[in-house]
Amino acid sequence: MKKGILISPIILFFLILLVFFYLLIIDRNPSELPSMLINKKVPTFEAELLLEDKIFISPGEFRNETTLVNFFATWCKPCFDEHPYLKKLSDERGLKIIGINYKDDSKRAVKWLEKLGNPYSNVLLDPNARLGIDWGVYGLPETFIVNSDGVIKYRLVGPITKKNYDAFVLKVKEVEK
Amino acid sequence: MVSSLGNFTLWLSLLFAIFQFVISHKKNFYSVLQFNKIAVNGLLFCSLVSFFSLMYCHIVSDFSVVNVFQNSHTTKPLLYKVSGVWGNHEGSMLLWILVLTIFNYFIFKLYNQKNIIFISKTLETQAIITIGFLLFTILTSNPFDRMITSHTNGLGFNPLLQDPALAIHPPLLYIGYVGFSAAFSFSVAAMSINIEEKIPWHSYMKPFVLAAWIFLSAGIAFGSIWAYYELGWGGWWFWDPVENASFMPWLLGTALVHSLITIEKRKSLQSWVLLLSILSFLLSVIGTFLVRSGILTSVHTFALDPTRGIYILTFVALLGGYSLILYGLKSKNFLNRYYFSFFSREGSILVNNIIMIVVCASVFLGTIYPLLVEIFSNNKISVGEPYFNSVTIPIMMPAILVMGMGPMLSWGKADVIGILTKSLPSILLAVVISCIFFWIYRSYNMLGLAGIVLAFWIMSNILLTTVRQLIVKNKEFNQEIIPKYSSGMIIAHLGVALLILGITGSSIWQKEKIIRMKVNDETSIHNYNIVFKEISEVTGPNYVALQGNFWVYNNKKNIITKLKPENRFYHVTNNSTTEASIHTNLARDLYVVLGNGDVNEGWIVRIYYNPLVVWIWIGAFAIFLGGLFSMKNNFQKLKRLSI
Repeated sequence: MKKGILISPIILFFLILLVFFYLLIIDRNPSELPSMLINKKVPTFEAELLLEDKIFISPGEFRNETTLVNFFATWCKPCFDEHPYLKKLSDERGLKIIGINYKDDSKRAVKWLEKLGNPYSNVLLDPNARLGIDWGVYGLPETFIVNSDGVIKYRLVGPITKKNYDAFVLKVKEVEK
Repeated sequence: MVSSLGNFTLWLSLLFAIFQFVISHKKNFYSVLQFNKIAVNGLLFCSLVSFFSLMYCHIVSDFSVVNVFQNSHTTKPLLYKVSGVWGNHEGSMLLWILVLTIFNYFIFKLYNQKNIIFISKTLETQAIITIGFLLFTILTSNPFDRMITSHTNGLGFNPLLQDPALAIHPPLLYIGYVGFSAAFSFSVAAMSINIEEKIPWHSYMKPFVLAAWIFLSAGIAFGSIWAYYELGWGGWWFWDPVENASFMPWLLGTALVHSLITIEKRKSLQSWVLLLSILSFLLSVIGTFLVRSGILTSVHTFALDPTRGIYILTFVALLGGYSLILYGLKSKNFLNRYYFSFFSREGSILVNNIIMIVVCASVFLGTIYPLLVEIFSNNKISVGEPYFNSVTIPIMMPAILVMGMGPMLSWGKADVIGILTKSLPSILLAVVISCIFFWIYRSYNMLGLAGIVLAFWIMSNILLTTVRQLIVKNKEFNQEIIPKYSSGMIIAHLGVALLILGITGSSIWQKEKIIRMKVNDETSIHNYNIVFKEISEVTGPNYVALQGNFWVYNNKKNIITKLKPENRFYHVTNNSTTEASIHTNLARDLYVVLGNGDVNEGWIVRIYYNPLVVWIWIGAFAIFLGGLFSMKNNFQKLKRLSI
């Protein structure tokens, strides 16, 4: 009985270490967050477009093909770094990307796209972060992969970078299947 | 050049550490002493040279060193170039090793004819720990790695860390963490040597534990001060994983300090102390490196590298496995069948111990709970302030109740009625002071009431025991009747009372106001009128800032102070920080933060009225001071022991 108590610290200690080892070994990204929206239909909303005098209506526009939804702003440094990779996705893979210009000045956004190129098929305006709330965005940039049925399949918090580009393309392919 | 010297001495330290490990096995007193003298001094010297080499590289901005390039910039003020040495993972490892070798040196100094085997065994264990950390530093995070390409300037720094409180916070914290390594080694040594040696191992351990504990306390206090002044959220404790990582060893250290007193007086709790001292060190290491391995994310994280995590966890597994198996085998020699009464000094210390362990376990659970959830399900959750507050506060309350009374109890005796009559005056005094307090403040709240009463309960007890002791001294009574109190204990306990006062005041009666203000707008918070006079641009050493000027008036329309919060922008790193401006007096802090905005829309301004905050810092200082007194006494006792 007494002996049992004396060896209990070592057992407990190794159980806890086991948990830590497991977490270190598995491929895991602590900044990757699941979203309540995963496997749900895209939210219903209407928004003005930046470059055309039209109204964008969701979920009507999310049909027939896999679509990326990318939240960006001109004041966001990581978005600037991410931009070439969005270009690459749209140019090389012909992906439809819907940009949501979050809490931004629309004149600046137009200039920004003129300078850096426009990977987006539509750019939606979200000056008051209404869409951001609908999509549960809390930091820029964020990118969602929506499948051809208008269902959100994946969420990436933070930019697409050189490091995660290939992994991201794989995710897109998975959704496209 | 200097960086090569640093690298060389780092490798040399590894050799000395291995030498120390090998040599400590020798049985011959003379050769052990002579060789260890070489090993310990060589190790200390080399790690000093290595550490100051890196500091030199940072001061002269030698960007051929990766560590300097990544973490420094020529525009940094000198103080922050120096503190930048330990403001990053690699450099902080060097500091960690330096502190380890300093403790190693002090342990070596304890050698005498009687304790040769015991101290040798301790030094051997210290050598293992030192070797482990040296290998870790050299293999996975060498601060002296060179750049392949050359650069004219560094990448920058984290502006949040550019704060005097944060410059001394890590060294203090490391002295605390590493200090527990001495307790760990003493504990392993005590279990390894023959029980017949009759070494008073706890007397060796106590001053080191006290040193670790007071520096850890001071380190935590400075961390809180930094969070309070720099983060601009009006609070000073956020239950962040890093904060928890320092708080958990502190709790165990508190339990350890108290149970060591019990061993000294009653020879009980020995096997318990052995376990506690092992756990304190293991928890210090696990906590620190959990955060650095990237398993837990935190605002403080500086290194996200799983390989480092695997190395350090393997090392901890070896240390913990060895020491805890040793504990499982040997600690029954230290068990005794001596049970004691609840109403005795040792009884109260045992209660204190149990509560500290329970709080520590709850904090630990809260910290790793998100990880457990992630393993067993696919959800991610985070555990925040509500959990920690609602769990720890109710458990702490009885501990504080006992803490007030504990010192008045005698060792071993259980005299319930005597205790009640003895504590009656302090109960009355606490009630009277609390009534006066609430009569002045006229604000009532259950938790606030409890906090204030508990704080005054400890103070009254301290006051009355001090008075009693003075009377006894004057009359030169038979000293057996009333137990003697150490001045260290009295000061530290008073510190805890003040701490509780500050914590209660600032968390229960804090007032917060977030508004948009334009120049010449006026607002009020708790009897104060605050006028936004002007906004101007100021230039600092490596930033530009918008500085607001707020004039504060009291309700008699007299001006009290001008607060100048800043919104700083750092060009180099392209980010901005807020600098809160605070007016402090003994009753409250007025705390203003300038947020985003512009001339047309106005600026977002956050204003806090934080009652009694300054007592948190005063209390922490008193705890530090009390510990220092106690440590001095215990080192003197140890000296007498060795003669």
